[in-house]
Amino acid sequence: MTDSPTRPGGFIFFLQVLSISLIWVLVVSVITWILNLISLSHYLHDAQNATLAISLVVLPIFTLLASVLTYVFVGLRKHQE
Amino acid sequence: MMEDLRKDPDYTLFRPILESDRRFYWAVAFLGAVVLWALALYIRQLIYGLGVTGLNRTVTWGFYIINFVFFIGVSHAGTLISAILRLSQAEWRRPITRMAEVITAIVLAIGGLHPIIDLGRPDRVLNVFYYGRLQSPLLWDVTAISLYFTASTVYLYVPMIPDIALLRDRTTKFKKFYTWLSWGYVGTERQKHILERAMTILMVVVIPVAVSVHTVISYIFSMTLQSGWHSTIFGPYFVTGAIFSGTATLLVVMIFFRKFYHLENYLKEIHFRYLSVLLLVFALLWGYFTFSEYLTGIYGNEPMEMRVIRFKISGAYAPYFWMMVICNFVIPVIILSFKKLKRIPGILIASISVIIGMWLERLIIIVPSLSNPRLPVVSEPYVPSLTEWSLFAGGVAAFCLMFLLFSKLFPLISIWEIKEGRAEGLEAVHQRLESYLPDTPAVQEGV
Repeated sequence: MTDSPTRPGGFIFFLQVLSISLIWVLVVSVITWILNLISLSHYLHDAQNATLAISLVVLPIFTLLASVLTYVFVGLRKHQE
Repeated sequence: MMEDLRKDPDYTLFRPILESDRRFYWAVAFLGAVVLWALALYIRQLIYGLGVTGLNRTVTWGFYIINFVFFIGVSHAGTLISAILRLSQAEWRRPITRMAEVITAIVLAIGGLHPIIDLGRPDRVLNVFYYGRLQSPLLWDVTAISLYFTASTVYLYVPMIPDIALLRDRTTKFKKFYTWLSWGYVGTERQKHILERAMTILMVVVIPVAVSVHTVISYIFSMTLQSGWHSTIFGPYFVTGAIFSGTATLLVVMIFFRKFYHLENYLKEIHFRYLSVLLLVFALLWGYFTFSEYLTGIYGNEPMEMRVIRFKISGAYAPYFWMMVICNFVIPVIILSFKKLKRIPGILIASISVIIGMWLERLIIIVPSLSNPRLPVVSEPYVPSLTEWSLFAGGVAAFCLMFLLFSKLFPLISIWEIKEGRAEGLEAVHQRLESYLPDTPAVQEGV
């Protein structure tokens, strides 16, 4: 892989891949945490509606944000010519 | 490379990144010292516990939660103003949006730390993840603020990519850093299209997220049966206050950096006039919501509610209450209603007055209700300690410091948007105007 400023290789490329991976790690962690809260509210029969309502808002938006970033990152690298 | 850059008509926007004068280092040293002082007192609080604060048995939320609500409120103007102006294609937005977005990201990070400071034992914040339950409005807050912080950081970063690529190609400083963050952007049509599409999605997402976050913040008060807090209009009241204080902060930041970095050619009087109209509208809206809030309470005449209202209006907190009304309503409405006063110095005075007034509003909402609990217990007056004052000063200094450091790494005004405005803005506005206006009879007849 070349190491030009517009198409970097080596360490910078590694940092870029790491950035996308970390964004997805964050989103997967949030999703896991919220799913755990939903199962807990279901198990305790406690505020299930509120839990589901909040989860329905939060989960898609976090996923959307990570998807937009991935789309931007991959798209910018791919369409340089 | 540098000579080439100096010939750029927008070199003024690159200059803060490339050159630093003595004033910058003095400002960083002073702000850094305040932050370090606050950090030292926070470490002292960690060692001795919350006993070093003025918090007591009934007033368990003091300065830290006031500052939390205040800072999160300030964060609202940024992303919201930027997203609304971009969506509505307001051409005058171009020099403003970046500063607005930076305010949001920095202030959110600072505001979000305050509940952890208030915990006394910061390690206990992990209990939110271990034992959290979504039935609690406090957990809604954690979720909403995390979401808003992620959304606003992404919304700050994506429109910044063309400018980062510009810095990568045209400067010699931090080359690797800019290469990392620019993701190989070279400005091809396809890349521009990708960024435009991403920005449109983010604009649409960020507006409801921003509105919902401050509504959720209001829920930590209004979901309780505490006198003075249990109100159905707290959601919109908090959102209005948030945009109000955020707009005022944006104006102060714009006026300061205009002077500090000589941006007079970019931040013109007209930008301040347009934004000050928004400030005036929100001053009136704030007045309306405050009037409604107290009128319904007084009309209901519920004894405990009246005790809190009297405590605010004519009791121990009356000076703060009336000061709040003067700062949030009287001063901005007088200054911003008259064309002669609506100049940059007048707008600065009105904005500073609103920032002080909105901080007092958070104080007025939180402390009097806690000082007058429903339970028959003796309440001690709340007097903030040196630790609380210092951490407040530290928060403000951290905001200024982070903003200054940001300005050394990235342009405070979006360079690519200015260049795009010059190249395409006039024609785009002309085309839009033609599409809005009714056709002339000649055009209708197909002549």
